[in-house]
Amino acid sequence: MALNIRQKQADAVVRMLHLNSSPQSTGRGGEDLYKVLILDAATQDVLAPLLRVKDLRRHGVTLHLTLDSNRQPIPDVPAVYFVAPGPHSTARIVADLAASLYDSYHLNFSTQLPRKELEALAEGAAREGSAARVARVHDQYLQYIALEAGLFSLGLPATYVDLNDPSAQDAQIQGAVGLVVERLFCVLASTGTVPIIRCPRGGAAEHVASLLDARIREALHQRGSVFADGAGAAGAGLAASLHRPLLAIFDRNFELSVMLQHAWTYKPLVHDVLGMRLNRVTLAAPGGAPGAGTHVPKTFEVDDSDFFWSAHGREQFPKIAEQVEAELARYRAAVDELNRSAGSNVLDAAADPADLMAGNTKHLMSAINSLPELTERKRSIDKHTNLATHLLGAIKERGLDQYYALEEELTAGKEHVEAVLKHLQGSQGTVTDRLRLALVWLLTCPTAPLEAECERVETALAAAGADVRAWAYARRMRRMNLTGKSQSSAALADGRGVFGGAAQAQLTTLLGSSFGQGLSSLTKGVKNLLAGEQQAAVTVAVEALMEGRPNPDVDGYAYFDPKAPIGSGPRPQGPFKQAIVFMVGGGNFLEAESLQCWASRAQPTPKHVVYGATELLSPETMLEQLSALAVRGGL
Amino acid sequence: MASLQGARPLGPTNARDRTSEFMAVVQRLQSSQGPSSSNRQDLIASPTPASHSAFSRHAAAIGLGIHSTSQKLAQLAALARRTSMFDDPAQEIGELSSLVKADIQSLSAGIAELAAMSAGPSAGPSRQAADHSHTVVDSLRSRLKDATKEFKDVLTLRTDSLRVHADRRSLFSAEAEPRFGPPLGAQASFLPTQSRHPLVQRRNAGLENGHHPPGDAPAAPPQAQTQLLAVAPQDTYLDSRAGALRQVESTITELGSIFQQLAHLVAEQGEVALRIDENVDDTLANVDAGQAQLLKYYDTISSNRWLILKVFGVLMLFLAFFVTFIA
Repeated sequence: MALNIRQKQADAVVRMLHLNSSPQSTGRGGEDLYKVLILDAATQDVLAPLLRVKDLRRHGVTLHLTLDSNRQPIPDVPAVYFVAPGPHSTARIVADLAASLYDSYHLNFSTQLPRKELEALAEGAAREGSAARVARVHDQYLQYIALEAGLFSLGLPATYVDLNDPSAQDAQIQGAVGLVVERLFCVLASTGTVPIIRCPRGGAAEHVASLLDARIREALHQRGSVFADGAGAAGAGLAASLHRPLLAIFDRNFELSVMLQHAWTYKPLVHDVLGMRLNRVTLAAPGGAPGAGTHVPKTFEVDDSDFFWSAHGREQFPKIAEQVEAELARYRAAVDELNRSAGSNVLDAAADPADLMAGNTKHLMSAINSLPELTERKRSIDKHTNLATHLLGAIKERGLDQYYALEEELTAGKEHVEAVLKHLQGSQGTVTDRLRLALVWLLTCPTAPLEAECERVETALAAAGADVRAWAYARRMRRMNLTGKSQSSAALADGRGVFGGAAQAQLTTLLGSSFGQGLSSLTKGVKNLLAGEQQAAVTVAVEALMEGRPNPDVDGYAYFDPKAPIGSGPRPQGPFKQAIVFMVGGGNFLEAESLQCWASRAQPTPKHVVYGATELLSPETMLEQLSALAVRGGL
Repeated sequence: MASLQGARPLGPTNARDRTSEFMAVVQRLQSSQGPSSSNRQDLIASPTPASHSAFSRHAAAIGLGIHSTSQKLAQLAALARRTSMFDDPAQEIGELSSLVKADIQSLSAGIAELAAMSAGPSAGPSRQAADHSHTVVDSLRSRLKDATKEFKDVLTLRTDSLRVHADRRSLFSAEAEPRFGPPLGAQASFLPTQSRHPLVQRRNAGLENGHHPPGDAPAAPPQAQTQLLAVAPQDTYLDSRAGALRQVESTITELGSIFQQLAHLVAEQGEVALRIDENVDDTLANVDAGQAQLLKYYDTISSNRWLILKVFGVLMLFLAFFVTFIA
């Protein structure tokens, strides 16, 4: 039973669309209810990758409108609201009630509606005298974006900046962490299980983990708990760990370089080069033909239902071209087969005409039945041909393959200052590509880079016209690691400095351990290099956590079991079958791929890993966030 | 995407129902406000069934009709799937299919009426309400289309099984019988085949009486026995089968026209594989375009204003010059 987060969310949404009863009872039943759906910006992002307009229609939704748009009254129609709770949405709903736009109101909130808002809503409804029209009020716990079966995003932009901002106020950090915890709680509520939480000590990850622990405890004590298994006896020991998933929370600072690396597999490339948002890729100029003139942006959908995407998304780019070719050949073969079976019998005059007739009709029928599937395949192949062409163009133009190869060497622990410098001064790649390469070198080289080397790289970058603020920020981070060890305890004690300082403290422990790891994973790294895959540091840590054997790298990790009484109980240490890996401060497809690859090949049985992040960041956005931090830090 | 919403039972819900909490707060507030006013307001606000418009009542009735039709269809499909040679429920199938056909015709007419209603002035007070009713009509239409298609499939199945029977029979009887009878056009109406052949009807009734109880073994004559039977009943029986076949075929052609009519209407609605945020993107783009136009207009206005100011300045200078030097 793999955790399919997308499926769970889709089920929950469908139930909501059927006014919180099961679809079977109203869907095809006697009274087919037609209703309007009211969304806001946040929930629209949730639904957009999940359901099409067609699906909405199928579940009886005739119109979907945004909360803030100018809405006109539609009499005797129930309205399903799906909005994020907040003073603004409360005010809008009360205004709708006052204007009596619809017949009845089914209010669904994407996270928990605070008591204060509930009272404001009730007060407004009572004032307008339309409380009777409010049919239902529900907390749905659905405020997250399930992009794939094992991939979700919380849709919280720039959390990394908020959490690492040296000039941040307490309130800002608390607010950001609160949002992360509430939405992460939604994910857990959807899975219906109480996980065992592990995270590295110190930093944002532990902060989130401890708040999440408290949040789950609170929910378990509430009546009508959102967790299916309720507040039953705290299952401890091995049996519990077999059923309960592991939730591993990491701070983005745990491994920064993976966010900046150039990828070579399909999905990360599409995300990085073509810019993918909510499973949709938008290409500016169609076909890349300069004479085309019209600049109609072309959009492509890529999600789990796309057979090519799910089958080949993890493969390396050169293979993708082959695969497109192969799929096209397979498609052509299928079409030929169809033509032969449906048409060629006519030539065979010797056969009995009646048999022929019957046979032909049957073939024709089967041909008609298989046509939609074939056109669907054709469309998918066309789409990926288009995407691959664009990718190829970008790769050639920017020399991404060389960047990838060089960065791969760097992560494997071979130092190549000269090679990096040569590449920086070379002619290929955009400015950001150079900056990314330099940053990867800075963040991955196993020993502290010499000042002189740094200076040389920096001048090379400046010569190329790069914005060196991100570089400066990363350099300061790197320098602090090496001096920050003594500060770690002080930083932890200092309340205000939890983030400013703890980020360093945590980085220190991390890098300290990852040097050890670096050596042990070096042998692994070579193997991985041969296989053409990198293993992100997160993957290594998750592997160790899931195995549950004593491991010096992860023994120091904080441990939270929301079901166990506070500060007691035996610790189920694994092995775990399922894990949810969550990155505070953004993740990307490269890391997700790395985890999924490992999970599907894990010994002795494959593991199920769901990867999530506060947002899915492209390397460019990551660079922007680093620069923003540099500016705020006064660099 | 379709795989996401399969018809499987859903797990326990994770949503929390807070309706009672909400209602409790409302109650408390209302009682503190004073009972008289709140009661009055409640009376005004509470939705009564009578307030539903003719449109929605009509739509609900059609939805109900489609639902019951599809139930009948399921029954019909179960009957048609029976392939035994002698236990042939021809009459039931005939009755059911005529019922379903009548249903589909009346529903189709109902939908046309509904469409007229939604297009008419009584559609609703606003454009969005009109959109809503339009979508309702579309969705009813596509559901009816699906039902019609299902009906056609069932009838095709029935034709096939009748053909197979006829073929099998021709293997055993040396006689050359009219396989498909007179052409389709000769069959004017749909049901009366059986009424024209009292013998057949009797026979059918006999078959039904004799064969429907499942344990009635001796009533099922083995095939050898049939071959030995007199030729005359054989002929009428074959006639009846051919008649049934024709009848089914004529129904299929009739259905074809309904189906086409519906399909044509539904076609415009077919391309709804849109994303939810797409519309909104369009709206945003429109808003942006509107703003850009406004800005452009503002620019031209402000440049005009500048021009006026300049002209005015020149005029004043000239006036001053004129007054001081010439006058």
